[in-house]
Amino acid sequence: MQTSPPAFFKQGPKPLTRLLIFSLLSIGLIVGDAQYSMLGRIREQVSVLLYPLQWAATAPFATLRNTADFLSRQTELMAENRQLNDAQLAARAQAMRLKALEAENASLRELSVRRDTVGQSSQLTEILYNGRDPFTSRLIVDRGEQQGVRSGQIAIDASGVVGQVVRVQPLTAEIRLISDRNQMVPVVVERNQLRTVVYGMGAHQPLEVRNMAPNVDIQLGDVLVTSGIDGIYPVGLPVAKVVKVERGSSFARVVCAPVAAVDRHRFLLLLDHRSDMPPYPEAASQPAGAGKHKKGN
Amino acid sequence: MPISHQLLRPVSIGFIVLSFIVALLVNLLPWQVSIANFAPDFVALFIVYWALNQPRRVGVATAFILGVLMDVGDGNVLGQHALAYSVIAYLVLIRQRQMAVFAFWQQALIVFGLLTLAQVIMVIVRMALGAPFVGWAYFAGSVLAALLWPPLSNLMLMHQRKSVPDEL
Repeated sequence: MQTSPPAFFKQGPKPLTRLLIFSLLSIGLIVGDAQYSMLGRIREQVSVLLYPLQWAATAPFATLRNTADFLSRQTELMAENRQLNDAQLAARAQAMRLKALEAENASLRELSVRRDTVGQSSQLTEILYNGRDPFTSRLIVDRGEQQGVRSGQIAIDASGVVGQVVRVQPLTAEIRLISDRNQMVPVVVERNQLRTVVYGMGAHQPLEVRNMAPNVDIQLGDVLVTSGIDGIYPVGLPVAKVVKVERGSSFARVVCAPVAAVDRHRFLLLLDHRSDMPPYPEAASQPAGAGKHKKGN
Repeated sequence: MPISHQLLRPVSIGFIVLSFIVALLVNLLPWQVSIANFAPDFVALFIVYWALNQPRRVGVATAFILGVLMDVGDGNVLGQHALAYSVIAYLVLIRQRQMAVFAFWQQALIVFGLLTLAQVIMVIVRMALGAPFVGWAYFAGSVLAALLWPPLSNLMLMHQRKSVPDEL
């Protein structure tokens, strides 16, 4: 191959030319996606194309689990059934009392002006798979735009906040876990209502509360619950528990463990929380006439 | 036995497409978080395989398209896999004739280098966008992929080998 090949062997542009074309295209995609996030439509189209594959990859495992569930022992189920019947009777009695309390509560609530803890509708989703990307902690779930999932919804499990929907595709959605480095949750300390923000530190890492004074009133075992101040998270969902407080340097280092079992789940609940926050006051967003003009959504 | 030493039946486009679909399927399997790092990247492996064996059919463009699919499936930065796959496909193509005469274990070493390079490219892209370093375990998948290369090549060639050897 000392000179150019004869015409018979020519096959379109040379590999180098192709490499240049496609690597430029890739870099264009990377920049467009990461810096300007303007490729949502492309992502949606491709994801619809990919959905049969995603389904095929996960369906066998789901079927396997379902069969395992089905084959669980009959006697066990019967005993459980009897027990549940008893429990239901007891619960019904309690529910009657609860109804009265609920009515009372509602009338009390009307008196106070809080509107943001009204009963929320929610949606049960099954996790399709973990995002394989080791740089972020994400989950892919089986509900998408067509089932009414919206970006920004909160995902919880039985014990607390798990994450937030960050990207919605027609049939699937991506959930960013609270342990992700880019995830922040506005919280209050349940014991003394101290407002703060808890930051994720990466997959399989604990959470952290940053920039607190060394003498801050946070103790081991304190529970952090959502504050609801941002208008995205509902009030009072448990987020994390303080496991370590270091007061050595100029800032206290507060390390927390998520309350929810962030790493092991099959099902998650997506909360449909929409609070009618009043718009930001005009004056507050313009200190000394500098900076961007912000308005509430 | 290296590919260039045998006469093989032609391979159909359908077979190539099917192999890529299977590779995507395996990559999209719900891997456990603990072993996700050790799962070899089958799509990259098949790109190298087909670029080596069918350089006229599978090249940089195929690699790019598969890369975009992987990016969407994994939910990471669009273009990251596309760039990495395009580069390794190109590197295979320019040295295709040399690589084709190597024994499988020698090819496996090259495959290890190529897949590691693909991962390095992705790490660089992500670190340029502000992610921290992911740790060395991330590269474990390439080692396994290289170990898989000889059996995988044999398996894929089984389809193309003739049942009766040519008589001269």
